[in-house]
Amino acid sequence: MLAHHLSEAAVSVELETEGMTLNIGPQHPSTHGVLRLVATIDGERATDVRPVIGYMHRGYEKLAEVRTYPQITTIVNRIDWVSGFANEVPFIVAAERLMGVEAPPRAQWIRLVLTEMARISSHLVFMASYPLELGAATPLFFALRERERVLDLLESVTGGRFHPNFNRIGGVKPVYAAGPVTKKAGMDIPAAFLAETRDAMDKVESTCEEIENLVAGNEVFLARTKGVGVIPVEKAASYGVSGPNLRASGCGFDLRKTSDYLPYDGFDFDIPTGENGDCWDRWWVRLEEIRQSARIIRQAIDGIPSGPLQAKVPRIIKVPAGETYVRAENPKGEMGYHLVSLGGLGPYRLKIRSASFSNLSILPWILQGALVPDFIAIMGSIDFVLGDVDR
Amino acid sequence: MTGLVPMTGLVFWAELGIKMAVAAAAVPAIGMVIGYAEMKLSAHMQSRVGPYFAGGRYGWAQLIADGVKFIQKEDIIPAEADRPVFKWAPALVMLGTMALLVVIPLHPSRYGMVRDLDVGIFYALAVSSVSTIGVLMAGWSSANKYSMIGGLRAAGQLIAYELPLVLATVGVVIQAGTMSMQGIVQAQVAQSWPFMLTQFVGLAIFMTAALAELTRLPFDMPIAESELVMGYVTEYSGFRFLFFFLAEFANMFSMSAIAVTLFLGGYGFWGIPTDTLLSPLIVFAKVGILVFIMIWLRWTLPRFREDQLQTLAWKWLIPISIVNIIVTAVLKVVV
Amino acid sequence: MTAGPSETVAAEAAVAEAADPLAELAGQVAAAVGGRAEYAHGTAKIRVDASAWKEALTAARDRFGLVFLSWLSAIDWSNETAVGDPPDPPVEERYEMLCAVSDLDEGRLVLFSADIGRGDPSIDSLCGVYPGANWHEREAAEMFGIDFAGHPDLTKLYLPDGFEGYPLRKSYPLLSREVKPWPGKVDVEDMPEAGPDAGNGTRPSTENPGA
Repeated sequence: MLAHHLSEAAVSVELETEGMTLNIGPQHPSTHGVLRLVATIDGERATDVRPVIGYMHRGYEKLAEVRTYPQITTIVNRIDWVSGFANEVPFIVAAERLMGVEAPPRAQWIRLVLTEMARISSHLVFMASYPLELGAATPLFFALRERERVLDLLESVTGGRFHPNFNRIGGVKPVYAAGPVTKKAGMDIPAAFLAETRDAMDKVESTCEEIENLVAGNEVFLARTKGVGVIPVEKAASYGVSGPNLRASGCGFDLRKTSDYLPYDGFDFDIPTGENGDCWDRWWVRLEEIRQSARIIRQAIDGIPSGPLQAKVPRIIKVPAGETYVRAENPKGEMGYHLVSLGGLGPYRLKIRSASFSNLSILPWILQGALVPDFIAIMGSIDFVLGDVDR
Repeated sequence: MTGLVPMTGLVFWAELGIKMAVAAAAVPAIGMVIGYAEMKLSAHMQSRVGPYFAGGRYGWAQLIADGVKFIQKEDIIPAEADRPVFKWAPALVMLGTMALLVVIPLHPSRYGMVRDLDVGIFYALAVSSVSTIGVLMAGWSSANKYSMIGGLRAAGQLIAYELPLVLATVGVVIQAGTMSMQGIVQAQVAQSWPFMLTQFVGLAIFMTAALAELTRLPFDMPIAESELVMGYVTEYSGFRFLFFFLAEFANMFSMSAIAVTLFLGGYGFWGIPTDTLLSPLIVFAKVGILVFIMIWLRWTLPRFREDQLQTLAWKWLIPISIVNIIVTAVLKVVV
Repeated sequence: MTAGPSETVAAEAAVAEAADPLAELAGQVAAAVGGRAEYAHGTAKIRVDASAWKEALTAARDRFGLVFLSWLSAIDWSNETAVGDPPDPPVEERYEMLCAVSDLDEGRLVLFSADIGRGDPSIDSLCGVYPGANWHEREAAEMFGIDFAGHPDLTKLYLPDGFEGYPLRKSYPLLSREVKPWPGKVDVEDMPEAGPDAGNGTRPSTENPGA
């Protein structure tokens, strides 16, 4: 692969110098895992960039074909591990839709709260890592401190920080671990969860303020991000770039508003959009989304309905024949599962549409002609997770 | 004047030897103190504790422990490296650092500095570029593309910032009427206010350029760990890495000390006679303030892009410093 | 009429639920591109001929505002499976290409589907219509062995160069399942011998004669 690339090393017209092939990754501080970029550079400017992925390909689509439906939630957790909980929901909803069951309202609201927490924690990782990639180490600590708070809450309900495996077809897992001793009351979210969440949301919001003060007013940060890596909205759409990256380009498209996989319709929240589609807008949209998520969580815990956590489903889950595609607004963008069932214990085919894969596919286009330092700025602003790219 | 001590006789050589030994020993000592300060300060800026256990209290021995660790480590030289160049590059960087300490006045007496040259500031600015050659050698000889890009970036950056650095000092030299470091301090002591008050533009430019010379954030593109892994030091390990590490901190000291000498009045302080043993402490305190600002910036700012850095140097700092020189010269003649 | 499970709910369903704006859109698109619309489980699907694949999606993009490429993939409909249960009742053996496109106003997503034969599967590349199809098609090519005519660089995406076989075909065995049949034995010490409380089997019995 590399040899093939070396042979087509680009030649600069003016200086007649050979380009240098720079192999960024798969082990590199800024490739978020095992992404590899084969870049032909002329000085500091790239003439050609080819992302090489697949170092983390785990074949989940094949594995799903030999697993039962309840087993699959464990693997979908691991697609985008920064927001594991959010990955489970669309899959479970797809299975529920084919079975014709619907989770009880309380279970749906718990899913919604935890999904938004996953969004906050994912965006906080971005808030931590992005300034770091531009050289500012300090925001990392502010953001990760707050993320820990949110992860603790996730853990108190689900028992897992990254891989909750909490959703069940027809509801969510009853929680025994915390709360009062009687079994009936114990099978619910922990007693202190709502109050602690309210408290945590206050702190998340004040941290957003802190991060904004620390980063947004910084001239160097502005110089590095404004006008860098502009993605026009038409380009974004044709590459399937979704989520905050799409909204940063000025398109106010959010599946939480248009899709019904979770009961978002009663909530009052805004869709932040950028103006130019540059790195700055992508950073700002995510910061604003943390605030909106906190707003959603507040409304949700104020109005969470009571009731059971689990709808009636058969003991052995068989999904009737049919196919459906359920997509959800995940922190990284559109996450969807195309589920084809023939009526068996497991799916006949499960196509996983992951957000980072499509978001990353725009890299060759957007890195064309970029400077090496801007590589890092642009890559970081796209906010991908390799597990979500390689599946 | 101390600069006129006859260069013959045993006393001269013995004295020079002792002074050089002190200057050489100062580098690791200064490096450790500033390194520890950086660890602790950055930690507290980031709501962390920082070094805590080494040495019993406050982790004061952390840098000693680190030094011992580095020395114990295997000295790896890449197979494709240009071995002699690779080996000597850290030494050259260290040499530049040590040579800079020679002309820093701590005390008005002849024991207050290693050597008071008549062209002291000229010498200081000249030897501060020696490290650049070491960096370029390190980047080139490592046989690593990241190192090479880092080395070339360092070269481009250091050339670009050498000019504002020199130009920023010209105003001081005009005001003091001498290039001797002692002379500059004496001029400030004599008029009982530091040149900072008139040469504030020069100080700002000098410190900006010094940060770039030191390749510290926001100008650390030659290292840029998120882009170039570790830039020109990528392939270094063990005590050679330690050399770069200590040289960076010692350079912070010497650059700050030069700034103190030029702009902050050196060992002079209102109400304190200059010939007491307090003089070195005054210098260290002033240096400490500047070093603190450097560390503060380091942990607050992101880094510039290479082209933005060049723009800053050539389009802003150099014209401003030239205007500064002209204004200073005109005022010197008029007033 | 093929017997694919997705067709159990046929075109009539689309008519029945015509009140749904998505089904309505699917009907319009299908009429415009000469395909057949299906609507079930909240998912609209338009079946087109493989020969009309590129034209259909171009029309969807240009005339119906379906500008957002969500994903592109395939399904291997096969009665003989190396892993997993074979389909029951049998299906018509073919590859089904799927491409999901959406608009960016109301989020109406339409699946385009085209059947291609199993002999030498090939279909037009969509790279000229949606540039983002590039990677999706490379993935489908290496996973299913489908050739995309007109693709600029149909090299392997995930798999290493020189990898043989097409892993997402139903005929491709899952190696870990070959080595260790499912459910795999847990990789810990053996369960205790059948003792007095063998039915429980959670901890070794203290009355085990071997102890």
